[in-house]
Amino acid sequence: MRYLIVGNSAAGINAASEIRTKDSVSSITMISKDTFNTYGRPLISYYLNNKIKPEDIYYHNKDFYIKHDIKVLLNSEVKEIDIKRKKILFCTKTKHNNDILVYDKLLIAIGSNPILPSIAGLDYNYTNVFTFLSYEDSIKLKSSITRTSKVVILGAGLIGLKVAEGLAEQVKNVTVIDLSDRIMSSNLDQASANIIQKHMENHNIKFQLKSSITNVNNTHNLVTEVILSTGDIIACDILIIAIGVLPNLNLAYKAGLKVNKGIIVNEYLQTSNEDIYAAGDCVESVDLLSNKKSVFALWTSAANQGKIAGENMSQGNHSKFLSEFAMNAISFFGMHILSAGVVNTNLQNIQSVTMKCQSNQLCRLNILNNNLVGFIMINENKRAGIYTALIRNKTQLSSLAYDITNHQNSNVGFNVYSTTERKRLLDLANIKI
Amino acid sequence: MKKIYALEERCLGCRLCEVYCKTAHSKSKNIIKAHKEEDIESAIFIEEIISEKQISYFALQCRHCADPQCVKACISGAMYKDDDGIVKNDKKKCVSCLSCILVCPFGAIKLGKDGKTVSKCDLCVDYGKSLCVEKCPNNAIELLEEHYKKEI
Repeated sequence: MRYLIVGNSAAGINAASEIRTKDSVSSITMISKDTFNTYGRPLISYYLNNKIKPEDIYYHNKDFYIKHDIKVLLNSEVKEIDIKRKKILFCTKTKHNNDILVYDKLLIAIGSNPILPSIAGLDYNYTNVFTFLSYEDSIKLKSSITRTSKVVILGAGLIGLKVAEGLAEQVKNVTVIDLSDRIMSSNLDQASANIIQKHMENHNIKFQLKSSITNVNNTHNLVTEVILSTGDIIACDILIIAIGVLPNLNLAYKAGLKVNKGIIVNEYLQTSNEDIYAAGDCVESVDLLSNKKSVFALWTSAANQGKIAGENMSQGNHSKFLSEFAMNAISFFGMHILSAGVVNTNLQNIQSVTMKCQSNQLCRLNILNNNLVGFIMINENKRAGIYTALIRNKTQLSSLAYDITNHQNSNVGFNVYSTTERKRLLDLANIKI
Repeated sequence: MKKIYALEERCLGCRLCEVYCKTAHSKSKNIIKAHKEEDIESAIFIEEIISEKQISYFALQCRHCADPQCVKACISGAMYKDDDGIVKNDKKKCVSCLSCILVCPFGAIKLGKDGKTVSKCDLCVDYGKSLCVEKCPNNAIELLEEHYKKEI
């Protein structure tokens, strides 16, 4: 059997590992246009502000690939999948000709691309315009900044704010612009967003919310100023576009695989072609909470899908990927934020319970019909994983031994469950799902 | 693999396991120094169960899950399952993003006191023996093979 994995991030590497644990003899090849072996993608901002050493960004050390006999082709972009002949066409950076690789089972795990809005006066080839999705992006950005840089970031989502944090102490100023009325609008509600925004403002980051960039001024192919919808003009010598990502669907689409918002897969993560699986940010999954089709650009989800796809590719379809929901763990200047599920408290029928709310701490639970459906925690992590499990398992809150919304029970951990339920869950830990 | 099992009906809630967990994970390996000089988070913790009739206790620690969510959630590759099935956290690689804490269904991972890494049970493999098991005065914590546990 020849396994071929296109892409070498969370989904790809976890698929490769899983295949190897199930099949010790077949060949496994990972092919990627990346220059580097699999790295912790969310760590690129840690690299930016020297919180990790370059050698620590890698997900596995080099021995891993030798030990597990996984071949990796880097700097190689897959141009085409020929599903009839079961081969791919790829092109390496150093060569001009296309090369061919054949496969028996193929995994598409090529993630997403940054959204690049068209803005008057802006050419994405300008050397002071950046995106922030790859280690290469981070290296390029780091080598371009100076102490006097005036940085403008478009987008106050996870990526935009992580870049802002990474740069704040190294440049003259950082301004973050977002159309929304609050930062991290898909992960936080107004109260929590306010806490984080204030904290970031204390670290020299400026915000221009409810604004967009209408056009940019440039000289000698460099952006010099951005003009906002509010009429404000901001001097800018580094512009970073971080308004979000879109699944990378080209390859699948050209090969004739079914695609919608993402690549369409069945519960076994198999595409419309039985020998091709897909996993990670390029895949469309079902949101557990809304039951709607959705694309999750989440490390956990991608790693999980990769593992399941790998298992099914090597063992036949028997491991199912269950529906997913949004969750995030992120920190800014030492302030930790954990959030999951529904965070928008304005939705009908959501009962929002605030357990704690201070200038630098928050714990808020969102409940719908006796089920926990979401939470936000700032500088607080007690029971976070238990809350996540309560959402995932759709546990009836009335079945618990303790009322999780009662302050007096805030020290109760895993024993929120009844004795029998606790025993059942502890036994489940031994079983491979 | 062998795992630590806490026997709820025997636990007195004395918290000696926490004391010895800290000792085993200290640099000095000395019970006094570990508590007075080193600030360590215990990887085993006593939870209280309060009912109308009585208060009972049980000790909780990492279950070394067959399919550990924390490993998949880890963004840096610090959390891993070793060849013996033990889920370990490589402190050198951990960036304390708390992704593992967000997904552990048992609440068995804690942010370390230094805030730089997370703390969890590693079955004391580096220490050589599981000290919480050895020191429990009422044999409420045992190191058992998974299949053996099912029979008791």
